[in-house]
Amino acid sequence: MQQQMIISVVSKDRPGIIADITGAIFALDGDLADLSQSILCGYLTMTLIATFAPERTTAEVFGKLKALDTAKDYDFLVKTMEIPLKNGGDALPEKTYIVTAQGKNKSGMVYSISSFCHQRNINIMDLSTTLKGGQYTMILQIDLSQVESIIEVRGDLSRHAAEHGMKVMMQHYDIFRVTNEVTLI
Amino acid sequence: MLRPDQILSTVEMIQKENLDVRTVTMGINLLDCRTGEVATTCANIEKKIQALAENFVPACDRIGRKLGIPVVNKRISVTPLALVGAGFNRYDFIELAKTLDRAGDRAGIDILGGFSAQVDKGLTESDREYILSIPEALSVTAKVCGSINIASSQKGINMDALAMIGQTIKDLAENTRDNGGFGAAKFVVFCNQPGDNPFMAGAIHGTGEADAVLNVGVSGPGVVARALERLIVNHGAENLLLDDLADEIKQTTYRVTRCGELVGRQVSRELGIEFGVVDLSLAPTPTVGDSVGEILRILGVDAIGAPGSTAIVAMLNDAVKKGGIFASKAVGGLSGAFIPVMEDSLLAEAVGRQELCLEKLEAMTCVCSVGLDMVAIPGSVDAETIAAIIADEMAIGMINNKTTAARLIPVPGKEAGEHVSFGGLFGASPIMPVRNVGKSKRFVNWGGRIPAPVHSFKN
Repeated sequence: MQQQMIISVVSKDRPGIIADITGAIFALDGDLADLSQSILCGYLTMTLIATFAPERTTAEVFGKLKALDTAKDYDFLVKTMEIPLKNGGDALPEKTYIVTAQGKNKSGMVYSISSFCHQRNINIMDLSTTLKGGQYTMILQIDLSQVESIIEVRGDLSRHAAEHGMKVMMQHYDIFRVTNEVTLI
Repeated sequence: MLRPDQILSTVEMIQKENLDVRTVTMGINLLDCRTGEVATTCANIEKKIQALAENFVPACDRIGRKLGIPVVNKRISVTPLALVGAGFNRYDFIELAKTLDRAGDRAGIDILGGFSAQVDKGLTESDREYILSIPEALSVTAKVCGSINIASSQKGINMDALAMIGQTIKDLAENTRDNGGFGAAKFVVFCNQPGDNPFMAGAIHGTGEADAVLNVGVSGPGVVARALERLIVNHGAENLLLDDLADEIKQTTYRVTRCGELVGRQVSRELGIEFGVVDLSLAPTPTVGDSVGEILRILGVDAIGAPGSTAIVAMLNDAVKKGGIFASKAVGGLSGAFIPVMEDSLLAEAVGRQELCLEKLEAMTCVCSVGLDMVAIPGSVDAETIAAIIADEMAIGMINNKTTAARLIPVPGKEAGEHVSFGGLFGASPIMPVRNVGKSKRFVNWGGRIPAPVHSFKN
């Protein structure tokens, strides 16, 4: 049976990174399944999933990547995936919400919100933050599937945010999709 | 996830600009409730409304809470009652109105429309009885709204009915004298009345509709006003052209409409009732910052009613339609910009400052989506003059193949310049002067019909 590996790469951004990494995978007869990358302040981080022949080991893949001419630029991590890859990607849970929290910048803001979520078994699926003119903005995509009362979470969150000097809003993700995408849901 | 700037612009729309869904209106067919006599018909009506609307209000509230967008009004519209009550007399019609009031109360809805008739070509005996019942039916009920389609581009204007309606409006106002003639605010006269409009007082469940259907009304003049202000601040007025402003209105309306579409679909799914249309109308409320008049000011007239006002309403109305049409699977109802004087604090102020007169308002209604709406006039204006004002408004709709409506309130015992207030969504306004009062009597007294216009012959 084919095996799936998850490979993560961190590097200072420059042209040719994707070509380097996918070239190494191709040379090992690997098949690229899924890839996500983003750039933050000039640094690229990439996570990709590839399938290989059963006899390939993570050490072999790691070795091939390390043998690249440009390997000194990169930090790698290669792991075998325990859960098989699902076809068609992951649909978002029905209770996906977006939380935006804004406040004057100080340390511990992300921790404050993320620990709030953790205490209530709320999974943070995506997070982006920006700092502009001393104002810190967090946007979290969260899954409230494990939460009994959304109204209660909304109330708790407002109180929590007020105590920490933040303005917070929680809306269903569908609202953001319908106002920003052309297709109907 | 979407881009942060996309998320933040939606957050601004909801948080800072009070985005809400103005109404979800459940249309209910009552034709199958009719029996040969009024008591059993009333019982059937109550039973049917209760069965269909039992979970309506809780479902709207639940979806509103889930999505974080409130559904402000939950309403019901029914088959025009003159059809349901065919063969009944005026006292029976009053009983039907009381039944609707009770059924609406039980369902917990805000307001109910459909105490109505379709008489654009002729009057049946039942229609006459229905018209005679209006002054009492709408003054003894709290939640029931009435409307009458008296003209259409296809059939012309029924001037016999219109002559009756002039007096009916006066009587209705007189019956609610203690409340400034409020009864007349619950009654509207139409040309080309849509059968799927969720807004009051003119909501009906048209005869071409399914047994039950949900129509959503989205509004948001405040959202559009704030979006325009932001555009002007960010780009500088000197760098913007009218087409840029129209485009901003279009994009904002798109986003607002999409929220209505989402709410409508989810309520429809939850109740198992067909989703009809989204009516994307800029319907102002008396709340500060929720005014169509304010948009007119932002778009460049320093007084509402100043030259240019009609052109601005035309652009606004068109941009609203364009933005909304693509946002929804099915658009219907009135869809455009409303200019209801009493419900819009800036329009009401303009009346008080004598910047906006009845004639200019009438001109603006040629290009807005409804008509002479919520206009308080002196109680001394005679029935024929009221009928003639309405006839002018009907003619605009008939010739231009558009919906027009008139909701005039002759405030008993008050004259031009005095003030009337109904509170809540119905608002307040100085009373608008009417010129040339008593000079249209000979015209109205002809009776008969204004024949269908030439462009109705499309067969």
